[in-house]
Amino acid sequence: MTQPFLSIRNIRKTFGAVVAVHDVTVDIPKGEFLTFLGPSGSGKSTTLYAIAGFQDPSSGDVLLQGSSLLSVPSHKRNIGMVFQRYTLFPHLTVAENVAFPLRVRRRPDKEVKRKVDDMLALVRLEGFADRRPGALSGGQQQRVALARALAYDPPILLMDEPLSALDKKLREEIQAEIRRIHRETGVTILYVTHDQEEALHLSDRIALFKEGRIEQIGSGEDLYLRPATDFVAGFIGNSNFLPAECLETAHGSATIRLADGSVVSGVKANHSLSRGQKARLMVRPEAFRLTPGASCAELAVEFIDTAFFGERRRVVARTAAGQEIDIRPTSDAADGHGGIASRSRQVFFDPAAAFLFPA
Amino acid sequence: MSVDARQSFATLRMPSGFGGLLPALVLITLFFLVPVVALLLRSVTEPEPGLQNYAALFGDGTYARVFFNTFLVASVVTAVTVVVAFPVAWMLAIMPPVLGSIVFGVIILSMWTNLLTRTYAWMVLLQRTGVINRTLIGLGVVDEPLPLINNLTGVTIGMVYIMLPFMILPLVGTLRAIDPMTLRAAALCGASPIAAFRRILLPLSLPGIAAGGLMVFVMSLGYFVTPALLGGTSNMMLAEMIAQMIQSLLNWGLGSAAAFILLAVTMALYALQLRLVGAKRLAGGV
Amino acid sequence: MLLDYDRMGWLRVVLLGFTGLVAAFLLLPVVFIVLLSFGSSRWLAFPPPGWTLKWYEELLADPAWLDAALTSMRIAAMAAVLAVAIGLFASFALVRGEFRGRDVLRGLLLTPMILPVVVFAVAIYAFFLRLGLGGTTIGFVIAHTVLALPFAIIPIATALEGFDKTIEDAAIVCGASPLEAKLRVTLPSIKIGIFSAAIFAFLASWDEVVVAIFMASPTLQTLPVKIWGSLRQDLSPVIAAASSLLVLLTLFLMIVTAFIRRRFSK
Repeated sequence: MTQPFLSIRNIRKTFGAVVAVHDVTVDIPKGEFLTFLGPSGSGKSTTLYAIAGFQDPSSGDVLLQGSSLLSVPSHKRNIGMVFQRYTLFPHLTVAENVAFPLRVRRRPDKEVKRKVDDMLALVRLEGFADRRPGALSGGQQQRVALARALAYDPPILLMDEPLSALDKKLREEIQAEIRRIHRETGVTILYVTHDQEEALHLSDRIALFKEGRIEQIGSGEDLYLRPATDFVAGFIGNSNFLPAECLETAHGSATIRLADGSVVSGVKANHSLSRGQKARLMVRPEAFRLTPGASCAELAVEFIDTAFFGERRRVVARTAAGQEIDIRPTSDAADGHGGIASRSRQVFFDPAAAFLFPA
Repeated sequence: MSVDARQSFATLRMPSGFGGLLPALVLITLFFLVPVVALLLRSVTEPEPGLQNYAALFGDGTYARVFFNTFLVASVVTAVTVVVAFPVAWMLAIMPPVLGSIVFGVIILSMWTNLLTRTYAWMVLLQRTGVINRTLIGLGVVDEPLPLINNLTGVTIGMVYIMLPFMILPLVGTLRAIDPMTLRAAALCGASPIAAFRRILLPLSLPGIAAGGLMVFVMSLGYFVTPALLGGTSNMMLAEMIAQMIQSLLNWGLGSAAAFILLAVTMALYALQLRLVGAKRLAGGV
Repeated sequence: MLLDYDRMGWLRVVLLGFTGLVAAFLLLPVVFIVLLSFGSSRWLAFPPPGWTLKWYEELLADPAWLDAALTSMRIAAMAAVLAVAIGLFASFALVRGEFRGRDVLRGLLLTPMILPVVVFAVAIYAFFLRLGLGGTTIGFVIAHTVLALPFAIIPIATALEGFDKTIEDAAIVCGASPLEAKLRVTLPSIKIGIFSAAIFAFLASWDEVVVAIFMASPTLQTLPVKIWGSLRQDLSPVIAAASSLLVLLTLFLMIVTAFIRRRFSK
């Protein structure tokens, strides 16, 4: 068996009676971009801090290439990190900040100078070497922080919500920058965020945290198309949950009855559900169509409000059972005004794109 | 009444413009500026117009000795106070609130206790037959009582005691303003605790150290009570000399010349301090 | 990690130990003086051979001590009231006013705190000799008000700077007159500042030694002058008894301050 590059084994962290992290185990191959995604307080930052050495886990271990990091003090872990807040050293210039990790490692001046130039070029801040952090914008400061964290070629880069203090436009710009840098340097990145779009955009794999545990780990596609639980389905992308009753399950698919009495067969069901059990059917807003297709299920709804959003329309509709749902059909499928204008009508969805979860 | 009229009416009753300053300005001008300027004028008019008082002060070895003592004691007191205060302020900035409030309580108790009371205690503690000497002899550290009082050693101990709170309290503010994350970042960058202290924590605290240190130095230069009670007659300090020249020797010319020198040095250092921290920070930080 | 209390290891032990020693150093004279005041040795032997209350009896039997304390109380109270009143108006002007030279004037008003007291003491002594105010209560009050003024202005101005003026404006929009808005909204919001100002101004006068030594006459002595005079004669344990009562007063002020701060901040 090949040894994983970085291995997080059964990490558990308690603060008094509060369990912040229950039992987290992940193996991370070299060069991967793994994101810890989850709502605040789900234990993702605490897990990251255990790797950085800011907090000792109550139990469990962190192994880098087979040897434990826990007994190594932070300053000898050789890990790079970019923080949520700007943590540049305010009394040092940009160049001195980037040089800092090399200076404390007593690298020769020539090498330090060359490396600082390389790093500033990498984050595209060549002209800013002599500025103080206070004279930079938030986005520039985080790019300097990135340069500082990478200056000593750490095998692992930790990023703790590095973009949360920036506005949307800057966030997108720096996301692209981070992707490029990951590509160019090949560094293994562990990234923490509560923003699912950021996670989907950046990561090779996403570990979705809920209440101190990893709910599901996989590629963005896995989490979106094959959510393991209703929490994952609800957290990644948009979703509607329709109350349903399970009639029959077999080989990962099920037949159900919806609240309005209609029976749908062939929906995905990974959980074992007994006959007659209450369940919830998750259908993505984008999975709804306005025109019938082969083997499509249909749902009677009443349109309440519609709006045009370019590629897609956004429709608020009410089911016969009185539940409001979100529908986002493609604009061309709306087929002119005829389809949209009628208030009561049928909408359609592919059962294979709908998921059944226990209620 | 229109809003404007009401506003100006209110301005008359509860001034928020320049008017509010008038009582304070009258008080300070009449009973501070005028007396101080009048005193300084005496230094160049008594006993006759001219600079002979300053010539006398700078020309005489006895007075040079006093100036030297004053600067020596102020420098030593400042250095010792900074070194002792920094670790305490550091801990106070990060320690749990319950423990912190106990230490703060001790500092406030010491600071608010009557100055003469504290000095009296040191007079008794430091005397030849005092507790400290008897303890040292009892422990076998020394054979004979150390001369701890009526000399500059006594003055230094007493002054450090008085000045410590003035150094600790502003430093706590400086240290609390430093984001702990910055130090974590330094550690992850590979800085050992010693490197992080030398390259990050110390430089970031430097403005607070400079401001507090300068304040302690300035206060020490002109301190009267502690040197007068704990110091000896043979090594007088400047404030004591001024008081003696005027109260005992009735030499107003020489006394006010010495007062002017003290004032000039103090104000120059105070101006330097304003440069360092800005007038507002200084006023708000005390 | 140098600012993470929980992750400093042995360094925390060292620094906490040092902090404990400094706290002990700060506490030492205060505790010592109180113990001494109950000791039976006239020569201040420590630890004392026995315990007694006779120094307190001697202190209370001497009307000069009580006189001095009352004089101090009277002068400090008057100086504090004056300094807070003048300081309140001055703070509004310094914080809210918009006129040239504001920073210079702020500096000027704070100068009495910076200037070595001995210079001011000598100056005001000479000035009052000419005006015939030397050795009078009014002379004392004026001189102490000058010294107390910065201690009154700083906390009030700080509180006022921290107070959002739009709240006062909101009260005016609601129909309060500007004066009413200040009295009912602004002043209550900065009362901690005013309270601190009163305490500091009172202490500035109550503890003041140098000006008092110059100003005092045989008939008008403040408590510090009385202690000063006794100290220059001998180190009588009666001074320890008087000092202990002053420590008690300090503790009382600290408790009142803590109590009022807690109530105000709710």
